[in-house]
Amino acid sequence: MPNTEAIRILVLAVLFAPVLVALAAGLAGRSGYRAARRVASLGALLHLGLTILLAIPSALVLIDRSNQEAPGMQAASQFQPIFVPGDPQRDGGSYETAWNLFPVGTADPALPPPAIQFFVGIDGLNIWLVLLTSLLTYVSVLVSYGSIRERAGGYYAWLFLLQSAIIGAFLSFDIVLFYIFFELTLIPAFFLIGCWGTGGGRRDAARKFFLYTLLGSLFTLIGIFGIVLTNPTPVSATMPKPQYVIATDTKGQPIFPKAGPVSFSVNRLMRNVSAWNRIHDGKLNAANAKLANAAKADEKARGGRDALAAKLASDGLTQAERDLTTVKMERESYKNLQFWLFFALIAGFIVKVPLIPFHTWLPATYSEAPPAVTLIFTGVLAKLGTLGLVRIVLPLCPDMAVQQGMAVFGFLGALGIVYASFCAYAQRDLKLLAAYSSISHLGLLVLGMFTLSSEGITGAALHMVNHGLTAGTMFALIGFLAERYRTTDMNLYGGLIGRFPQYAFLMFVICLASVGLPGLNNFISEMLLLSALFAPETAHTLGTGFGIAAASGIFLSAWYTMTMLRKVFFGPVNLPPQPTDAEPRDLRSHEWAAFGLPALLCLVLGIFPQPVIRSMKADVNVIVKQTDEARERVNAEKSPSR
Amino acid sequence: MLDPSSPLGLSLIAASLPFFGAVLSAFLGCTRFGRFAHLPAIISFASASVMSAIVLAGVAEGHGSLAITADLGTWFSVDRLNVDFSFLLDPLSLLMLATVTFIATLIAIFSAGYMRGDSGFARYFSLMGLFVFAMCLLVMANNFFILLAGWEGVGLCSYLLVGYYYAKPSAAAAARKAFLVTRLGDVGLVIGIFLLWQAGGYHTRFDSLFEHIAKHPPASGTITAICLLLFCGAVGKSAQLPLYVWLPDAMEGPTPVSALIHAATMVTAGVFLLARCAPLFVMSPEAGLIVAIIGGSTAFLAAFLALAQNDLKRVLAYSTVSQLGFMFLALGSSGAISPRIAVVAAMFHLFTHAFFKALLFLGSGSVMHAMGNVIDMRKFGGLRKLMPWTHATFLIGSAALAGVPILSGFWSKDQILHSLLEAGESHAKYHTIYYGLFAVAALTAGLTAFYTFRAYFLTFWGEERIPHEAHGHAHESPRLMLVPLVVLAAGALLAGVIVDPLTHWFGHFLERSPSIEHAHAGYLAHSNMVETAHGFHWGVAGLSTLLALGGIGAAASLYRRGGPEKVPEGLKSLYALSLNKLYVDEAYDLAVVKPAEMLAATGRQFDAFLDAIARLLSYAPRFLAALLRPLHNGLVQFYALGMVLGLAVFITVVVFRSAR
Repeated sequence: MPNTEAIRILVLAVLFAPVLVALAAGLAGRSGYRAARRVASLGALLHLGLTILLAIPSALVLIDRSNQEAPGMQAASQFQPIFVPGDPQRDGGSYETAWNLFPVGTADPALPPPAIQFFVGIDGLNIWLVLLTSLLTYVSVLVSYGSIRERAGGYYAWLFLLQSAIIGAFLSFDIVLFYIFFELTLIPAFFLIGCWGTGGGRRDAARKFFLYTLLGSLFTLIGIFGIVLTNPTPVSATMPKPQYVIATDTKGQPIFPKAGPVSFSVNRLMRNVSAWNRIHDGKLNAANAKLANAAKADEKARGGRDALAAKLASDGLTQAERDLTTVKMERESYKNLQFWLFFALIAGFIVKVPLIPFHTWLPATYSEAPPAVTLIFTGVLAKLGTLGLVRIVLPLCPDMAVQQGMAVFGFLGALGIVYASFCAYAQRDLKLLAAYSSISHLGLLVLGMFTLSSEGITGAALHMVNHGLTAGTMFALIGFLAERYRTTDMNLYGGLIGRFPQYAFLMFVICLASVGLPGLNNFISEMLLLSALFAPETAHTLGTGFGIAAASGIFLSAWYTMTMLRKVFFGPVNLPPQPTDAEPRDLRSHEWAAFGLPALLCLVLGIFPQPVIRSMKADVNVIVKQTDEARERVNAEKSPSR
Repeated sequence: MLDPSSPLGLSLIAASLPFFGAVLSAFLGCTRFGRFAHLPAIISFASASVMSAIVLAGVAEGHGSLAITADLGTWFSVDRLNVDFSFLLDPLSLLMLATVTFIATLIAIFSAGYMRGDSGFARYFSLMGLFVFAMCLLVMANNFFILLAGWEGVGLCSYLLVGYYYAKPSAAAAARKAFLVTRLGDVGLVIGIFLLWQAGGYHTRFDSLFEHIAKHPPASGTITAICLLLFCGAVGKSAQLPLYVWLPDAMEGPTPVSALIHAATMVTAGVFLLARCAPLFVMSPEAGLIVAIIGGSTAFLAAFLALAQNDLKRVLAYSTVSQLGFMFLALGSSGAISPRIAVVAAMFHLFTHAFFKALLFLGSGSVMHAMGNVIDMRKFGGLRKLMPWTHATFLIGSAALAGVPILSGFWSKDQILHSLLEAGESHAKYHTIYYGLFAVAALTAGLTAFYTFRAYFLTFWGEERIPHEAHGHAHESPRLMLVPLVVLAAGALLAGVIVDPLTHWFGHFLERSPSIEHAHAGYLAHSNMVETAHGFHWGVAGLSTLLALGGIGAAASLYRRGGPEKVPEGLKSLYALSLNKLYVDEAYDLAVVKPAEMLAATGRQFDAFLDAIARLLSYAPRFLAALLRPLHNGLVQFYALGMVLGLAVFITVVVFRSAR
């Protein structure tokens, strides 16, 4: 067992070290771009080392946890982050933190005040994304190596601040903390596009990106407050004080309601959701039983001659019916509220992913931003949206995710797979092609995720990492051309295999990973996502249609990718005019590191994905348990027997 | 797990050797020993071939089911989708493994001579190694996902090898076409795999999957859908109607690659897939019928297209499409007659076809090598004196393809015709249609003999003509290239007669495959029929001999004196249709490619429209502001007026409400 205390400090270091690097790079930038990039690449490399140092013990603990699970064991009803700084228990069993940021409101003085907490931790869903962030930041710094010369200090400073904010969002288990980090990413991103963009429309693109995603996330903010304030509590209207469920006991039975704090912890919020629903189910059953009894008594009394008894029984029956209606109404109003909160909450995330038709900020942003920044955007920033879906939306609005998720967002995802593929085919610019291809792949991710099965959610979680690797590296590789020839127009290039064979080799590997060739990483996650679409609980008519749409992506992605490869890499050599006198060289050593390392990881993840899948298992099961319960409720409501 | 003393361990080592060969070739290519890059490929293929022969010799004797499986760890596994690195050794996979590695060895030896001095020498052999490895992976797979890995792997390698001359735009286009058209079939295959996974109790391994399906048969609609979807993949990979268009173009690659694709590694994958899934196909007579119909129409159509081609390799390419059609004809009859007969016939034809088709392609490569890379038969002729060895071996290959008695092609084609006839005579559903298919197959056999010998006569007979591209030193190929030709010719002559008609070894050995046994059991259960004796049918043999000789005679009468093209009057329009490949490429371009491209362009426009809407919405606040801004004009009198009017309205409302 590794030293828990040290690793907790490591978590904080991984989170905040980029701020220090940003400071150092900014200062070094005063003495020229060379100093800045030296500091930046050293800092990024050190940070990557730190992250690996964190990832190894985390992965070991997480895999160990999955291995210890007995086959028939119930999944936990909350996320179980490890290495939480400020965990009141030394060995980290409580999955909570004691580090409060701001206390909010007043509550029972006997209990800890409700507070927004600094609640960060590692679990199977986020550790690989954090590692990916560190890796891609390093790649990004290497890609910027030759191309960023103006105000390099500021550039690297913003880049590292962006990294810190992204890692913060990945690690957060407090809903408000998550939101703060989520929004903090906008500021560095805005400056990186606006000041260091490559196109003429960069300021416009920066503004569009900022406003569009901000608008989306403002809805999310409303949703978050709605969720916190209406977090279901088994409160009885007659009681003077609001009552909250805080825990369930070891047998999974809710402890009787106690006055407790309102909470911002995702864990507590989701526990409340499932506890409330379980209590409500109990109430519903009790009311139903009472009604049945009353009906029986009424039947009996009507047969007898005692008028008074008949009257009493009939009154009892009416009362029981009224009670049942009240209980049902309670649930109805809860669900109505959930409906709106679900859509508000999800808005910011689907803009960030993005799903069509909320993607129109993306082409402009991706083509105007420098390739080194675009690779961070597509590789990790988009994953804030998808992680938000699995971390916040699915556990906190499970009923609506079951009822609306597939029909609305699954549909948008399926539509996106096909639509974005066609758009990608029609592009002339490499960056735009990669941008639309990214939309298409993320459409599949969201579609598979909303099947809410363990294959689907594991596939989605794995696809986040895989897509980050391939799409991020794709943009890095496009940056290679942009740096040498200042253009990414496909029609100006041809026959690059002959001119840059090493570059072509790595490009082929990444393109093939992106079309889902077996042996490379995307194949695994795509197969998982597809299998989820064909599993029986989703395979009604609509689900099979979605499955066919998703499977057509197998062909469509090959269609636009192979067409691009033919245009750019095959045929007679054709190059745009050189901007400088120096003859452009094939891959230099730092570029081998920048592109080769992710390409190698694509191969490794394609052949040995199982450790990553195992490490995610426990946390995926948490979500699946929550949604399975919701599915049962929804199905029970549909069936007439209730 | 990889114990070399066990049959499975040894064959897995054999299967993985080409991979290491490929890596070593690539490594040599990076050093200054690039000219030795062929050695790792040849050595690894040869030793793999020897190893599989050893395994074959070890398990050939004996009776009863033969299947050895092993799971070498988990690939990926989540809840119900559990995929292991699971491998299977049975007669089906072993025969494929032996054939593939043996043919590949000869092709690699030939390539060493053919590709000498090419700038991409190491790249070529490295890709070839990967190609063979992917095919070995495909045949050794014990679940659909490993199979898919091999399947896509051969697709990728064929893409890279067809596009080997990357600077040539036509090669680039052909490579892309090959990848995309086969990938289109893969969409169906993947959907089929997942439907099967769902219907088969979430098993992924072949053995447990087929067992589950046999015990809990799904609805007949489901099983038909699954079979047809799996067949989609085979249609793409094995170049059947309507997805055959990539294969004739795929000869843009170096000629030995065509030999590899056509004989051993790529197009046979679809036939193998259907043979592997025979237990499913016997459950659905409809699917079997559709497979047979597609196979029959492909066989006939491709034979028709081969009639008028001027390009020697193109004739051979269409003949491959046609011969694959024959194999699917046999596979398609496996519900109507016992799969023991039908599947064995298809696999036997695959086996003999591998020999003579590799021989013919290498022979045409030898011609091309001598003619300075010219392959148009109008430009050369009468080469039999100049290239005696090539001529003799090519003649043997042509005779085998045409189905001349005693040669290998005769026996296997005869088995297929016989199966079709039996299917027609059976009492299965739709049995009458199989009579029609038998007639089509017989007609196609005649056409095959004709076009094969047309190409043969045009190339080797008549007046000696040599194109100027040969620069005057046209010559017989070096010995390194002739040895594989001679070995393959011996195979084309004798392989057929030795392994089956005399000894029945091939059939008996293949029957021990669990998938064929399962299928046979399923067939018995479905049809309630006693197995009929399946012997040599003199009538069918006589008919096919007659057809072969007739076709050869017709070709001889027209082309005995070599070129130029002679078309009988009245057949001119048919000739033009065949020469222009029935305009299928143009039709596809018009009906599929162009609309898709237009759809893409429309999508792009629509996306701009979506963006405009978003922009319009973003102007809403500004627009509102513009509406309200005039109210704040800074005139105190105006504000006072506003206050007074507002107050008046307010008071009016209050008064009226209280007065009511």
